[in-house]
This record gives sequence, structure tokens and C-alpha cells, in this order.
Amino acid sequence: MLIRAFTLLLLTLLAVSANAEKVSTLTIYTHPSFAAEWGPGPAVKDAFEQTCNCQINYVVLDSGGDILQRLRLEGKSSEADLVLGLDTGTMETTRQTGLLASHKTDLSALNLPVDWQDPVFVPYDWGYFAFVYDTEQLPEPPKSLEALIAAPDSLKIIIQDPRTSTPGLGLLLWMRQVYGDQAPEKWQQLKGKILTTTKSWSDGYFSLFMNGEAPMILSYSTSPAYHMAVDKTDRYQAAEFEEGHYLQVEVAALVKSSDQKELGQAFLDFMLSADFQRHIPLKNVMYPATDLGDELPAVFDKLIQPAEALYFDPKMVTDNRRQWLNEWLDAMTR
Amino acid sequence: MLEVKNLVFAYPDQKAPWNFQFSVAPGQCIAIHGASGSGKSTLMNLLAGFLEPQSGDILWQGKSLRHRPPWHRPMTSVFQEHNLFEHLSVEANIGLGIHPGLKLTQEDQLAIERGLQSVGLGGFGKRIPGDLSGGQRQRVALLRTILRQQPMMLLDEPLTGLDSDTRDLLRQLLLEQKALGSLIVLASHDDEDRQVLADSICRL
Amino acid sequence: MNLQPSAPFSRPGWRLWPGLAIAGALVVLAMAGLGALVWEASLPDMNELWRSRYLRTVVAFTVWQAFLSVVLSLLVAIPVARILARQSGFPGRVVLLRLMELSLVLPSIVAVSGLVSVYGRQGWLTGFANDWLGASWNLYGINGIVLAHVFFNAPLAARILLQAIESAPTSQLRIAAQLGLGRWWYWRAVEWPAVKPIMPGLAALVFTLCFTSFAIVMTLGGGPAATTIEVAIYQSLRFEFDAGQAALLAMVQLAICGFLWWLAARDGLTASLLPDRQVASHRSKAGSSFWARSGDAAALGLFVLFLVTPLIAILLRGLPGIGSAFFPEGSFSVNPALLDATLRSLAIALPAGLMSVSASLLILACGTAASQPAITRLTNVAAYLPLMVPPLVLGTGLFLLFRPNLGNSSEGLILVTLINAMMALPFVLQMLRGPMGNLDSASRQQADQLGVLGWYRWRWLHWPRMRRPLALAMAYGTGLSLGDFGVIALFGSLGQPTLPVLLYQQLGSYRIDAAAATGLWLVLLLLMLFSLFNRLGSPLFNAGLASKSSRTVPEPEHA
Repeated sequence: MLIRAFTLLLLTLLAVSANAEKVSTLTIYTHPSFAAEWGPGPAVKDAFEQTCNCQINYVVLDSGGDILQRLRLEGKSSEADLVLGLDTGTMETTRQTGLLASHKTDLSALNLPVDWQDPVFVPYDWGYFAFVYDTEQLPEPPKSLEALIAAPDSLKIIIQDPRTSTPGLGLLLWMRQVYGDQAPEKWQQLKGKILTTTKSWSDGYFSLFMNGEAPMILSYSTSPAYHMAVDKTDRYQAAEFEEGHYLQVEVAALVKSSDQKELGQAFLDFMLSADFQRHIPLKNVMYPATDLGDELPAVFDKLIQPAEALYFDPKMVTDNRRQWLNEWLDAMTR
Repeated sequence: MLEVKNLVFAYPDQKAPWNFQFSVAPGQCIAIHGASGSGKSTLMNLLAGFLEPQSGDILWQGKSLRHRPPWHRPMTSVFQEHNLFEHLSVEANIGLGIHPGLKLTQEDQLAIERGLQSVGLGGFGKRIPGDLSGGQRQRVALLRTILRQQPMMLLDEPLTGLDSDTRDLLRQLLLEQKALGSLIVLASHDDEDRQVLADSICRL
Repeated sequence: MNLQPSAPFSRPGWRLWPGLAIAGALVVLAMAGLGALVWEASLPDMNELWRSRYLRTVVAFTVWQAFLSVVLSLLVAIPVARILARQSGFPGRVVLLRLMELSLVLPSIVAVSGLVSVYGRQGWLTGFANDWLGASWNLYGINGIVLAHVFFNAPLAARILLQAIESAPTSQLRIAAQLGLGRWWYWRAVEWPAVKPIMPGLAALVFTLCFTSFAIVMTLGGGPAATTIEVAIYQSLRFEFDAGQAALLAMVQLAICGFLWWLAARDGLTASLLPDRQVASHRSKAGSSFWARSGDAAALGLFVLFLVTPLIAILLRGLPGIGSAFFPEGSFSVNPALLDATLRSLAIALPAGLMSVSASLLILACGTAASQPAITRLTNVAAYLPLMVPPLVLGTGLFLLFRPNLGNSSEGLILVTLINAMMALPFVLQMLRGPMGNLDSASRQQADQLGVLGWYRWRWLHWPRMRRPLALAMAYGTGLSLGDFGVIALFGSLGQPTLPVLLYQQLGSYRIDAAAATGLWLVLLLLMLFSLFNRLGSPLFNAGLASKSSRTVPEPEHA
């Protein structure tokens, strides 16, 4: 009995390894919401594997920051052929490791609020940071960042910590973009309204916001799309601010040490095709990086359309982040 | 032949160290006699290897036992109390003397059963020590010592505090063992024990 | 002349080396992690730490909140343990004990959600306090942090203290009962001596847990003024890529917690959390009058309310989604994703629990076998390293040690299992320390003489008396791994989630109801696991042992 089971196991293993030799494998480092069962990952994998004699292998790391950290630790011996899930906050530091290769993808199809000509990073989706509010608790949300800052302290908001979270960093940059050197003072005025500063977006959204702890939370302008399309409720909406909204772009890049560069390049090209992009709006709840035309779900028309996309050059962010953060810490703990 | 030669031991705060010296032949019983605190139990622990002497030697059949661990010394101890593992059954307690991993053959099981009957504990095999009286527990301990079949028995007040029927029974058992060739070192307050069992006396 | 059949693994080295090797491996791991960081960037000047106002505040705040949390946890735990010891027969006691075991192993995001529903701005209690008591209560800030820490740790502490009180020596209880001691004297004469030896270890454990707390501190802390060293390390590593500062902070954390453990170990750290002496059947008369019982009931009622209301909140929140979590879109087949995640979690957690229990036993064996006390203390403190070294640093160390094999599917899962076992080690060790070290000298001498050594000694002398503590330790070891998110997130998985990972994936994709349902399912699973292990450890279930002895030593009455 035992021997039979063992033989069976051995045969299976042999079959698997034989199989693995025949087709080439593309190893992609990514983050959980992309690779989740209902995220874009599985659908994209199926679609791409049909076009190539290959297999996609996702390695799921906790966040964009973890992808970068893993890459740094592994250096030239990294198994990754491609990284997917870095964003404008982490991409510059990743570029500086020198571990990424440049791409040959045609970027003309991109449909971003900013002009994008990066030799290394190819965007696959984007969105705006925004405050999402509960219409039942707060029928009249502030109409600008200024109005939010000037609001009475009885209006509570939940934000994320810029030291640990992507939207948290987004708000830091947003304030900086709008107020420049005045940002620390504005933070001090905002401080009384901040109920708490959570580690991650999930902590705030699940434990606090959806428990009704505060009527507003720092999130994405696209968040209501999910609530409207899937939960079928208009209760949660994003507040449109007059100053404009800070832009987040999520990107992918090739790894220099990869022995599957051609396959990786093919995947980057595929990434900007409709077969990939159509899964973005509702599965990643972000704007697609290219124009999907009629395929863009109707709920996206109901989202706010910021007058201006606020955006720092990634290099500028990398150079100043530490100082801005220390100013923020100072303002918030004084 | 058991020879105890100039065995010296003192506890850290003790001024005058003890010095033990005697010899016994197989089939003989030596009684260790002395007031309480005179070192009877210490001697028993030294022989068993639970304590390390400062100097001197213990010879068995001419070979030194001094540096052997307790499990390599050809003897079994019975104290006044606490001779049994409280969480194990009577059978298991005896069985561990026969095989330290309780790997018992059919004959071993049978020997335990017969032994229990012979000490008046037939059918008590499944009980745990907590359910037995003091006399019954000593009978179990002595039975284990006998079935373990080591050449020497170290008995430290084994009969103290037992009723007279049990004492008679156990004395009888010990006499039988002596006749079969066991060497017995007996520490006892009791004159009758010494008169019945001992062939020689060592005064401390 | 070898007279005995010699027992397997009976050479003294077998007791010493495996445990020493495990302790050594833990030290190497921690050092590798720290070393890697220092190697990547040189260590900054220690003075810089004291010059930076921010870092100074962080260290001070970390110590302060951990101190408060320990004091309050113990202040809650001691009376609760005393009442539970006094009142040993009320209905629901067993259920209450299970729930107390649960609080520590709950994933923090689930627990925080429950706490917020009760104590938050819109919470039940806050509403009640505002409407009826006119008191204003704000969860966010140091009170929220301490509240959450007490919720996590007080039940654990009470559970362990209860075991200590219940195993007070029979003789003392008898005398106390004869004298008819009042509560205060009963505490002085019986309870305090029973809990005193375990207090240093218990306090050190709770302190370390609160000291290294991360997400809870941030969620409930109200803002960056509430930052622990662990957050600052995360910030340095993930955000500023300042490995040197991360290493420095990790060392500060290691120094503070390590010093505490060293202190606790000095008082003969055989100061176990779960002593095992002869169990008493006598109980204090102090708890038997009507007024005494009413007082106990009221105090215990408050504690139950404190413990159970957040759990009810988790239940209520999870219920709406649980149907569709199991049977999506009204289909009648069980949701394969949830089922797979459950199985995967168990496949990691059960071996991890088993490994942590075995490793603990080996470490404890080594502690008793070593001739130098320094070795004993070293192995003891090493076992607590996984609590003191930040997971990110530990992860880095592991990564460097196992470099070629990481990220690979099956090796990855094995590694995750291993780390989970390691993270559970400190808890498991605390549960087993007392029972393992309690062989009295008479039994030891007998066993030595009879040659009951090595494997045989374990099988016949330790195992029968340790079934219950082993079962509880196994439950904690498995439960901690089952609820773990940190370790698996650190190493990456192949898109095949465990339950906690599934929960976070659902959160990350706005699937709030599904996430709440997954959280509830996880809680139920943990509850089942604890009940199962408690059954396995109970004296009623002793088929395995009964082959040679029909009855075993009487065991504590509590479940």
C-alpha cells in the first residue's frame, strides 16, 4: 500500500518535472490583490498562456515594497523574470538597484493623465487617490482639500501611514504638491480630524470604515466602482477635490538576470493589449492603462473626473521622501 | 563478593566525613546499624550510585563500581517509601524492573501475575499505587526487586511502619532470596529484622 | 557488564545535543538576519539614536505602552484566575476556558474589528457609556492600544495562572482549609506561593508580545505619536532602505527584551508557566458564602463581557457572508477556494504545531541535561529569540541562509511551516516547561537504577503525565500557525492562499463581507481545534496509554 502510494508520488513528480522541461516558465513577482483568485492574475495567465508555449508562475509577495526588498536580497540570482506591482512610489528606488532591464514595448497606446516615456517601467493601470465617504453619514462632503482641512474637528477621517502604506504615501505627496512648503502647517491643521493612521489600507477599510467608525477614508477614486458594480450600492462615493487628485500608476518591468527576456518582453506587450486590460477595471478596481472604449464598465462613467492629475516625478519623490516624511512626523507628533 | 573500601563522603557543611568499610558475600545479609543521622541512607545512596564518594572504592567480584552510573550497577534499592511511579499501574511498575522499556514477554507477564499472587496481591495488577496501602506498596516494590534478579538488594528501612503480618511475609520473601544467593544490605532500626535476616552487622 | 537492555537514545548526548542544536540554530538565524543588515550598510553610530528625537520617542513609547499593558493584563488576569479556581463548577466554565485560549491566536485584524465594534466611536459600549453614563470614551490612543493588548494577553495570563493555582500542593490547601483562611490570607498562604515562580516568565512573555506589537498599535494608536520600535524597523527597511538603522533598532529591541528574559531566567527560569505538582481536591471555603459567590459572579461576568462581546461582534459581522462563502451563488457544492485554503492552512499549522512541541521538548531536555547553568540559560533565552527579533529581520536572515530554495513552491511551504513552528516555540515552551521538569528526585533515582532512560524514560515517565499540557501546547502551536499572516506574507506563496492570506486578499479586493465570513470561519476553526486538542488531552481519552495501566494519575478538573 505504502509502496504503491510512493511509486505513484514518484511518477507524478517525474511527470511534473518532465512537463516543466518542455515549456518555458515565466516567473512573475507580484502582490496579493493581483494574483487573487478573483483578481486579474488568473484570467491574464490563461489568456497569455494560450498565445505562447509557456507557463506563468506567480510568486506572491506582500506588497510592492516587498517585491523590491526580495529583488535586492536575491540580486543577480533572482528567479524572477518580471516584476509586476511596483508603483510610482517604489519604482525609482527599484531602478537604482540596477537589477532591471529596459523594455522595447510600444508605449503609444497608453492612455494616462500624464505623458509616460520610461525606458524601464511599463504601466498597466492607474488611479487617483481620493477620500471615499459614506453618503449616509456624510451627505455633504468637503469639496476641496482646503475645505477638509478647514472643517471642524468633529469630522473624522481615517488615513494610512505614509511609512507603511502606498495610499498613505500618496496623501503625503498630494499635500506636498498642493501646499509645497506649507504642507507641515496644513498637516497640523488636519491632525485634529484624523481618527487614526492605520498600517495598511485593509486595516482601515475593514476594521474601521466599514464598521462606521468614520465617514471618510483615504482610498482610491475608483473604489466606488466596485461597490456600485458588485455590491450594487451607491452608498460609498469618492469626494472630488478642486485642487486635483494625486495620481498613482502601477508598473511592471523586466529583470536583468532573467533567461526568459523574450518571453518577458512578449508579456509586457501583451499587458497593453485588450486581453489583459479588460480585466483591470473590475478585478483590480483601477483605470486600465489603455483606452478600452466600450469595454470600460459603465460604472466608471459615474466616478469623479478630477480636474487635474497631481504628480511628482518619481526621482523627485525618491530624493525628498525622507525629508518630507520627517517633516510630517514632526508636524503630527508635536 | 561486595567490598566497600574506605568509602569517604561528607556533605558540604559536614565537619567529620563518614568512612565506610565492610565486605559481604553473596547469599549473606549485612545489617547496617546506627542512630538516625549516622549515614545509613547516605551509604545506600553511595552504593547505588546516587551520590559520588570523595574517595575509596566499591568492588563487586573484584571489579570497581565506583565510576559506573546507577543503571550499570548490579543492585536494586527499596526505600521506606516512594518506591513506585505514582502514575503507572502496579504491573507496569514491576514490569519496568524486568525491562526498562516495558517490552515484556508472555512469560514475564505470567511471572508478574504469579509474583503478585505470592505476595497476596492477586488481581491488583491494574491498580495504581495511590489505591494501595503502605504495606501493599512495599510488597510491590519488593516484588519488583526480586523479579529484577540483580545479585544485590539495598534495603533502606523497607519494613518500617508496616503491620506485623506484612512484615512477616516480606521477611520470609527476603530469606528465600538469600537462600537463592542474593546479597542483601539492610539498613534497619528494628532489632527483630536484624535477628531474623542479618548474618553480620556493620555499626556506624 | 551491561546488565540492562539499554534504551534507545539513552546516551547523555541525546539529551544535550538536539536541543542545543536547535537553540544554536535560532541564534545563528537571528545573527544572520542582523549580520546581513549590517553587512548591507554599516551600522550607524549608537549616539545617533539618542540624538534623534523621533527615535528616542519611539523607544520610550514602546516601553511605556508595553509596561502599561503588562500591568493591566496581570491586574485583570490574577482576579480572574482566582475566581475561576474558587468557582470550579459553574456551567459554561469549560466554554469560557476555550474562549480564553482563543483570544491570543486570533488574527489581529479580525480581533481589532471586533474590538472596534464594541469600543469604537460607533461601538455598543461607547454608545451605552455616552447615553447612560455621560462618560466620553475615545478608543484611539494609548487606551485603545492597552485595551487591545489586555484583550489578547489577559486571558492567556489568566489561563496560565489558573493552572498554577490549581496545582498548589495539597498539604498547603489542607492546612488552609483547616484554618478557614479568609481571602487575603488564602492568597498569601496558598495562591501567591503557587503563582510566584511563574510570574517573571509570564510578565516577560506578555511584555515581549506587547513590545513587538505592530498593526494593532498603528490602527488603534491614533497617529504617528504611537509608534513602536517594530514600526520604525519596518519603516527603515521597507521605506527608507536604511538597513543600518533597522539593524540598530533591532538590536535595541533585542537588548531590552533579551535583558528581561535574562532577568526572568535568573530566578531559576524553571519558573515555568505551567507547573505540575500533585493536584489538590480541596478547595478554599472562601468562595462559598452567598455574598462571596455573588461577588465572584459579578466580577467574572464583567470579564466574560469584556472577552465575549468582541467575539460576538465578529460573529455578527461574519454571519451574513458565511452562507455564500461556503456555497457561492447558491450552488450546492462547497466553495473549493475556501476548502482548499482551509486544508492548506491545516497542512501548514498541524506540522508546525507538532514541530514546535517537539523542539520545545528537546530544548527542555537539553536544559536539564546541561551541567553548566549558563548553557541552560542560553538555550532558554534563545528559544524566545523568535519573539524578540523582528520578523522582517528574521526573514532576511532566513533568506540568506536558504537562498537558493526560497520562493520555490514546495520548499517555500516547508519553510513557512518551519518558521511558524519557530514563532510558536516561545509559547509552547512556556506551557511545557513545568510538567517536563517536575520529575521528583525519588522517581529520578528509581528510573536511573532501573535503566529507564532515553526513549523509555520519555515514553513511560514523562509522556503519561504530560498529555494534557502537551495537548494544550499543541493547540496553541497549531492555532498560532493557523492564524498567522506575517510569515507566509514574508516569504511569498504561489498564489495558493492559506486562510489568513485569503482573508487579506478579499480585503484587498473590497470583498468585505467575504472577508468577514472568512474571519469568522477562521475563528470557528480555531475553536474546534482547541476543543479537539483538549479532548485528546483529557483523561477520558486515554486509549493510547491504557494498554499497561488502567488508570492514570488524577488530573486537574478544569478542562
